[in-house]
Amino acid sequence: MPVWLREHSWRQSLTAVYLSLPLRGARATAANIFCSEQYLKVSIPPFLFEAILYAPIDDKNSTAKIGNGNIFFTLYKKEPAMWDSLTLANADKEKLQHLRENAVLEAQEKAKEETKAKKITKQENKKYALEATMKLEEAERKRIEDLKEKERQEVTKELELWKNQQKDGDKYKSIQAKEELHQEKEPLKERKNEKLNKTRIPNEGSSKTRLKSTRGRGSCSIFSQDLREEQLPAPRAAATIKVNFTPRVFPTALRESRVAEEEEWLHKQAEARRIINSDLSELEDLKEEEKNPDWLKDKGNKMFAMGDYLGAVNAYNLAVRLNNKLPLLYLNRAACHLKLRNLHKAIEDSSKALELLTPPVPDNESARVKAHVRRGTAFCQLELYTEGLQDYEAALKIDPKNKIIEKDAEKIRQLIQGTMQSS
Amino acid sequence: MSAVLGLERPQVVSHVQQALSYTVFDCKWVPRSARLMCLGSAARGTGIIQLYELHGARLEVLREIEKPKPIKCGTFGATSLQQRFLATGDFDGNLNIWNLEAPEIPVYSVKGHKEIINSIDGVGGLGIGEGAPEIVTGSRDGTVKVWDPRQKDTPVANMEPVQGESKRDCWTVAFGNAYNQEERVVCAGYDNGDIKLFDLKTMSLRWETNIKNGVCSVEFDRKDINMNKLVATSLEGKFHVFDMRTQHPTKGFASVSEKAQKSTIWQVRHLPQNRDIFMTSGGSGSLHLWKYEYPAQRSKKDSEGSEMGVAGSLSLLQNVTLSTQPISSLDWSPDKKGLCVCGAFDQTVRVLIVTKLNKI
Repeated sequence: MPVWLREHSWRQSLTAVYLSLPLRGARATAANIFCSEQYLKVSIPPFLFEAILYAPIDDKNSTAKIGNGNIFFTLYKKEPAMWDSLTLANADKEKLQHLRENAVLEAQEKAKEETKAKKITKQENKKYALEATMKLEEAERKRIEDLKEKERQEVTKELELWKNQQKDGDKYKSIQAKEELHQEKEPLKERKNEKLNKTRIPNEGSSKTRLKSTRGRGSCSIFSQDLREEQLPAPRAAATIKVNFTPRVFPTALRESRVAEEEEWLHKQAEARRIINSDLSELEDLKEEEKNPDWLKDKGNKMFAMGDYLGAVNAYNLAVRLNNKLPLLYLNRAACHLKLRNLHKAIEDSSKALELLTPPVPDNESARVKAHVRRGTAFCQLELYTEGLQDYEAALKIDPKNKIIEKDAEKIRQLIQGTMQSS
Repeated sequence: MSAVLGLERPQVVSHVQQALSYTVFDCKWVPRSARLMCLGSAARGTGIIQLYELHGARLEVLREIEKPKPIKCGTFGATSLQQRFLATGDFDGNLNIWNLEAPEIPVYSVKGHKEIINSIDGVGGLGIGEGAPEIVTGSRDGTVKVWDPRQKDTPVANMEPVQGESKRDCWTVAFGNAYNQEERVVCAGYDNGDIKLFDLKTMSLRWETNIKNGVCSVEFDRKDINMNKLVATSLEGKFHVFDMRTQHPTKGFASVSEKAQKSTIWQVRHLPQNRDIFMTSGGSGSLHLWKYEYPAQRSKKDSEGSEMGVAGSLSLLQNVTLSTQPISSLDWSPDKKGLCVCGAFDQTVRVLIVTKLNKI
């Protein structure tokens, strides 16, 4: 039950009500005060003060001053009138409750509206800022465009000037050329005459040289032209240079990005060719069924069962030549090698089998277990116990329920510990 | 890339764009004029040569010539300035030299190759360099042949595969090192990434290398000087700049390479007025303007005491995307610095102006 604060004092003017509420030592903050149009509540647990006001007030402008153990309310009345009392006198419980709820709802709604208004103003501010930046950028762009445009125009003007120069230059040159042509003919004639009159009229010859010198420029050019033509060397002696190209299999152009693909393609082609070739060359005398790797594998298995380990190895060898991508062939060959005590070969073959069994899926679990066990055995027989143990543990990881492997692994561990202790 | 940034960089300004009714394979400026040539193939399978003149902001057609076979490439490199004959290679392997004033009958014609002539270059004409005018053609039949317009029917040099060797397409050829009458060098690029340098004075293979991607375009920075730099562009967006002044006996020429864009780099062209600036055009329709900077020392001695070249560095001055289709041909005007024409596979030819090249 809250403790009601009853010792409040109030006075009023026409437009405002001044309410003073002592707090009895409690500390108040803005959060403790709840005010709506006709309802005022101060709740500082365990203290509580509430009042249903006589008339509605303008709760937006009303203020509350907290200090000195006191809250001082200044409530502005909505309608300027003198109140008979601060609170509504006859207020039964239901009405009170109703009023309280209304007050709360009102307050909530007001809060909602306020946030909405805030949002709207925020959006508008953002829009404004955006528009301002856009304008700035536009201005910048326009400036650059204008500069470019100016340059373009300048350059166009220059070009026109240059072109006109060219035209004039051309005209001038064509006139010159005509003059030269004209002058060419004259000295040629003169030269001919000279030759004829050479011995007879030496004076005339001298005068002619004078004449020639006046047309000096023209004749010089002809002479220089002649000289230049003579200066052009004769066409080269025909010859051939033989060329070797960097070899390339594909008829298309070389591109670095395609080199990897091309290599792969060639590799695959080579593989296919190898298999076909190996089929053809030495195995022509074999029967049809003997060229089938699966049949050969079965044959090998049978021989293994019968104890003919060498024969089994042979069968597996042939099968591998035909198809070196079947892991079972290597697996079984490893078993044969174990029996034959070719331990290194056994290790090799089990490793190759494991490589081919690379996607470690439940389907090839048993095969992988076998491979690990066989390799482990080979290692142990070579006295490489740690490697052997590694393989056994790998096998155990794949198949933890196998008792035999567990037992063998234990044995190996003992052996290792034994050797470590003794050394 | 020093203090050249922002708007101080050279800008590529698109001056004129002309839509064509045929596929344009090559475009070249007519020397000493504001005219340009476009060569290509019409839809009906014939070859087109069009002559345009630049008038203000548009190109005016001066002449259109149709030939029976589509034309792949052309050059003015081997004619004199007065004559300005155009040498073209077509899809059938024919090399023709045309007088554009009277184009009905070629001045010189030979069926040089069995398959399409992919690339052509000329040297000795236009008042540049010395020595006999010669034209080199590279073809899909794997051979590179050098022709002298004064000698009919047979080439003066023929670089062909050894007997029995399977041929590789030759995609590009370029002349270089023509600084006096005897010296001349032909560089050829093939589709298997081979670059071969043939010395025409000694008629031998001087150098070869493989850049691991088909070679689309090779060009020396100048044809008429002692060979200085060679740029080779290839598929996969790579190009290499070789320093050709120092040849090491085993390592060949030093080079620097750059991967510019994800697509094929179709052409490289050096600016005639500044041999350290060049433009590459790419399969994504973009043009990149590059500057080569020489290293502090162009050659150094290696451990055995033989001279080895040192490659410099490249900086990208500007890049611009003009089209969605590859820009397959590019030519700088030898008369106006910064003026260039490019033809793309979207059947347009564009005249561009590159500004601020004086400030580089």
